[in-house]
Amino acid sequence: MPTAEALSHLVDDATVVYILENRRYFEDLRQIASQLAGLLVLAAAGSKESTSDHPMLTAAFQLHRDATDGLRRARPTLRARRHHEHVLEAASHLADALAAAERRLADVDPILIPLRAGYAALRQAANALPGFEIISFERACCGIHLPNEVKPA
Amino acid sequence: MSAYSLWVMEFAAVPNYPLSGLVYGAHNQGTRKLPYCYIVIKGQGRVAMVDVGYNHKAYGEVLANTYGVKGWHPPKTVLGEIGIAPEDVSSIFITHSHFDHMGNIEDFPKATFYIQERELSKWVWTMSLERRFRWLMLGIDPADIMRVVDLARQHRLVCVDGDRANVLPGVDLHAAFDTHTWGCMYVRVRNDLAANSQDSFIFCGDLAYTQENLRGFDPNDPEYIPVGLATGSQFNLVMTTEKMVNLVGGDIQRVIPPHEERLKDLYPSRITKNGLRISELALANGEKSQVR
Repeated sequence: MPTAEALSHLVDDATVVYILENRRYFEDLRQIASQLAGLLVLAAAGSKESTSDHPMLTAAFQLHRDATDGLRRARPTLRARRHHEHVLEAASHLADALAAAERRLADVDPILIPLRAGYAALRQAANALPGFEIISFERACCGIHLPNEVKPA
Repeated sequence: MSAYSLWVMEFAAVPNYPLSGLVYGAHNQGTRKLPYCYIVIKGQGRVAMVDVGYNHKAYGEVLANTYGVKGWHPPKTVLGEIGIAPEDVSSIFITHSHFDHMGNIEDFPKATFYIQERELSKWVWTMSLERRFRWLMLGIDPADIMRVVDLARQHRLVCVDGDRANVLPGVDLHAAFDTHTWGCMYVRVRNDLAANSQDSFIFCGDLAYTQENLRGFDPNDPEYIPVGLATGSQFNLVMTTEKMVNLVGGDIQRVIPPHEERLKDLYPSRITKNGLRISELALANGEKSQVR
């Protein structure tokens, strides 16, 4: 992830602060999307572990509460406003997906549809500001290395 | 007489990739071109592939602008160079679940996908871990997991548990657990269809990126040097390399790393009008060369 110094070449200081403060919540939402998708894989594969009381679902609910609280407290700058709208939209879709998963994990569509919408909103958020990545390319094996080069979003 | 035609087809590349990212410990030794390639296996009345590349629609721009990936072309264009359409592909073997190997599932609408069950189950387990373990998720795109859900629902997903011989005639899947990823696998094509094959090729995914992983830097004193990234262990990578090399009778030129640009020095090849390289490893009976 780009450092504060690298980001400061791309956006104003207040927006750098916004990015640093909210990066974690963005990653939490991405993690929730991953966890839900993982549970759906188990369900689609007919795994015995794919039940609505799966501990990963409990963890995802807690993570979602924390992330949503944090994002609501955020004070987006004008530059960050679009990003903030997208992450809140993602949080809302993921809340719907979580609620559907809690009702019945084996019923895939009511979970998958808001999950996809939430993930799409996260992708839009990642495109709206530098410093947010939907995939950890930076240290991945075949996507690395234009070091310290971050293009303006 | 070959049962299958085998091509390695470039669809994008990083022109200057640090060698240290390819060979463990090769720091400050410059850069080389890192191509991203499809592996096409055609014969016995079918078309199969090893891996499907990354999802350009989703993050191609990020890879291009931030990570130096250049020259991407869609599967329709790339495969079209040898007269194949993505819809013709009926079987795809996913060596591992990183974004650049299984991100483009949706462009192959009629294929059945084979992946190690352990690769999926360990993914899911990893997702249950707390934030401080997030390194274990690098290279994974959550959207790929959603696509796997769709594959399962469409009955186009085959979860393999360990080795499986003759998944197609003369094509074997070999597990390489706890190596580059949790549930890696490599594909062996026995091109003479013989059980004790004398004409095999191994498609190794990221178990090796380059010839140096297979023979080291000194041709007179070869050694195995693993790739840099191992979610499992370097030990397992080295021992897997030994297995792969043994399966091709010690001829390391028949272990094919899809990111190795210098395949052009070993096999007939050509550059397409889009600047992408095609290397032709073998031609099935009656098949016309696509590089001459």
